[in-house]
Formats: sequence, C-alpha cells, structure tokens
Amino acid sequence: MQEEESLMTESGLCKTGIEELDIQLGGGIPTGSTVLVVGSSGSGKTTLCMQFLINGATKGERCVFFTITEPLFKLTKNMEGFNFYDKKLIESGMVTLIDLRIISERLGLDTEKYTVEDASALLDILRDIADELNAKRLVIDSITALCYRLQTPEMIRDFIFKLGSSLAAMKCTTLLTSEVPPMTFQYSQYGIEEFISDGIMFLGDFERKGDLIRTFQLVKMRGAAHSRTKSAMSISAENGIELAPLLGSRE
Amino acid sequence: MANVLIDGLKERISNAIKINQSIGILLPSSNYTDLLRAMFEYMHSTPEVAWVYVTVTRPYDTLAKQYEFILDAKNIRFIDCISRAAGISTPHPNCVYVESPTMLEKLTLEMMNMFKEVDESTNKYLVIDSLSNLIIYNDANIVTEFFYHIVNRTRARDIHTISLAIEEEGLEKHLNRLIYLNDKILKVRDSFI
Repeated sequence: MQEEESLMTESGLCKTGIEELDIQLGGGIPTGSTVLVVGSSGSGKTTLCMQFLINGATKGERCVFFTITEPLFKLTKNMEGFNFYDKKLIESGMVTLIDLRIISERLGLDTEKYTVEDASALLDILRDIADELNAKRLVIDSITALCYRLQTPEMIRDFIFKLGSSLAAMKCTTLLTSEVPPMTFQYSQYGIEEFISDGIMFLGDFERKGDLIRTFQLVKMRGAAHSRTKSAMSISAENGIELAPLLGSRE
Repeated sequence: MANVLIDGLKERISNAIKINQSIGILLPSSNYTDLLRAMFEYMHSTPEVAWVYVTVTRPYDTLAKQYEFILDAKNIRFIDCISRAAGISTPHPNCVYVESPTMLEKLTLEMMNMFKEVDESTNKYLVIDSLSNLIIYNDANIVTEFFYHIVNRTRARDIHTISLAIEEEGLEKHLNRLIYLNDKILKVRDSFI
C-alpha cells in the first residue's frame, strides 16, 4: 500500500529535468497543470520551455510546441546551439513543432482578430492535436500573441480555462509563455492569464555593477509546496537553463 | 633566493593540504608571483588530483604563457573571470570564461559543473585567486555571501578549497572576515619560509 502511494506521488509530478527547478518545485510540476512562464524579450522563456519538452521527450513522453511568435526555421536554428537540443527527437515525432499561424490560415481564420467561433475552432484543433499525439507536455509560445487575437477579456478567460481543463483531463502539462515589458513586475499583458493558470514562473533580471543578472522566481504553483526564493538564472549552450542561489537578494 | 622561497611555499601548501579541508592563504603582494609558481608546480606534481583554478587576478592567456606546463596538464582546469570583460576570449579546452567577476552566481555554477565531470573517488581541489580581487569588483558583503556558499557547497561534496587573499590597504577588515571561514590559515611572510 505504501509503495502504491509513493508511486502515485511520483506519477503525479512532471519533472522539468532542470535539476534546481525540480528541487524548488518539490519534485516537479503537478501533472496536468497550466503554467505561465513570464518574462520580457530575451529572458529565456522559449529556451526554458524547449528544455522542458526535450527533457520530457528523452524520457519517452510525447510533446508539442506551438509557436505563434517566430517561424519554425528560426526557432530550430536558435535551439541548435544548445547541447540539450536533440534534432532526432523532432525528426522522430517525439517533439512536434507547429506554427499556429499556418494552422489559423488553413482553418480560414482571420489571422489578426478571432471571433468567438474562430476561437472555438482553434481550441478544438489544439485539443485534437494534443489528443491525437497523446501529448504529455505542451507549450504555447506565446499566449500573449494568441490573446492579442482574442477580442475581449471574457474570450481570453474562456479560451485559457477551456484549454487548461481539456489538457489537464489528458494529463498533459502545459507551459504558456507570457510577454511583459522589461523591468516590470506584472505577469501578463491582459491581467487575466495569471488567474486562470495553476502556476507562474517569473523570469526577470536586475543590474549589478553594470551587468544584467538573470533571475528566476516561482511565484505560484497550485498543489505544490514550492520555494518562492528568487534565484539567479544562467543560460548556456552546454547546460541550457541552470539556477543558482541569488547573492545579495536579502538587501 | 626565489627558489628557496618557492620550495618553502610548496612545502607549506603541501603540509596544509594533507591536514585540512579548506585553506586560506594570506600573503603580501610582493610574494604573489612566487606563490603562484609554487601553486602551479604543486598542482602539476599531483596528476592524481583534480584541480579547478579560478582566476580573477590574471587572464588565463597570461598564466599559460608564463607557466607553459599548465597548458598540457589534464588535471588542471581554469575558470577565467576577467578576460571576457577585457575583450579577450581565446577559446581553450582547459578554460571556461565567465563574462565578468561580478557574475558570482555564474561562477558558482561553472565551478560545480566542472567538478561534476570528475570521478567521485578522485581528490578534488578548488583554488580561488583571489578573494581580494573579488572584493575589488564586488560589494564586500556579496563576496562574503558567495564565499559562504562556496565553502558550504564544497564541504558537502568533499571538495577542498584553497583561497588566496592578497593583503591590501583598506581591505583587511573584509579579508579577515573571509579568510577565517577556512579551516586553516597560512600567513605568508618571507621570514617564515
């Protein structure tokens, strides 16, 4: 019985594969959660998300990356510089990369503004893709660009809520990137995304003697006893995202 | 005279390393070059030990030119914290460059990553050259916090640390606070060697 419980606990968490982050999360993200990855341009949102997917795919989980902010060739070109990036996982279909703008075009949707029907059609297609691929990890990069096409706060709320609920039912853990202006302490452009998400990871930076130090903070994670300490974040070709204790953070 | 000094330093370093986990070496700037030679010769003479040498004082290129034997030493790896800021970054398999000596968290990660590649049964040593130079580039309180982290992390992983501190006017208060975190202090004076 005890063994069964520990296995259940183990299977209830989705390890990011980023060692220090999993420690901060108390093991991993609760499976099926929808997590907002917040940061300004160049803060490392896409890299963190891709590392999360690649680490999952390496363990045998199927993953999907929906991009709406940059073409696929640019995305893969940027990722090729990282040691964690394994092209074979893309070629074998363990990680599927999809340009959401192309899907919108094929669905005959207005690429600038979605009607309620458009949003519903897009939601259906996202759910179908995740279901067909039996995806266990999914990323939308970025939810901000998608929300821009949804015309009212109600549509944004409804879209994220329905997407999150469907993916949670599939036990698919989802990361949504959220773009915010630099040096600000806000979690989203529309002020809605953070309330519907189960978790928030905040990627920021601060200046020390003229150098910009990247920071990472786990603001919220429903269902996890997690750390809320701000860490220093490093992005390198060799190790991708790494976290270290932030010095001078108590000042 | 210089050889006597270097031999004396080597012997003192060798004896201290045998006994203790972490050693702080406090020295006047006039002895720095001799100590550096003594350190590198000692490191080179212990191929069974894995050394990670953090330089905040001289660029790796300069050290490699001065002590050519370290170029081929497979047991010594370097982390250079000052070359990038000075616009030098000649790639070398033995050396990792940190953008700036103010990037202390990045430095911590690079140190620990280097030791992760070393076999668990191998004796591991970390040399920080130097605490005094870190204080020049950073706030003294942050360097203290950094050094606390390093000492605790390395102790937990059975990594021995040797930290150098060059005596400089105005830094005594900070250096004393830092150096006494070590298990043993070596105060280098010409007359003691």
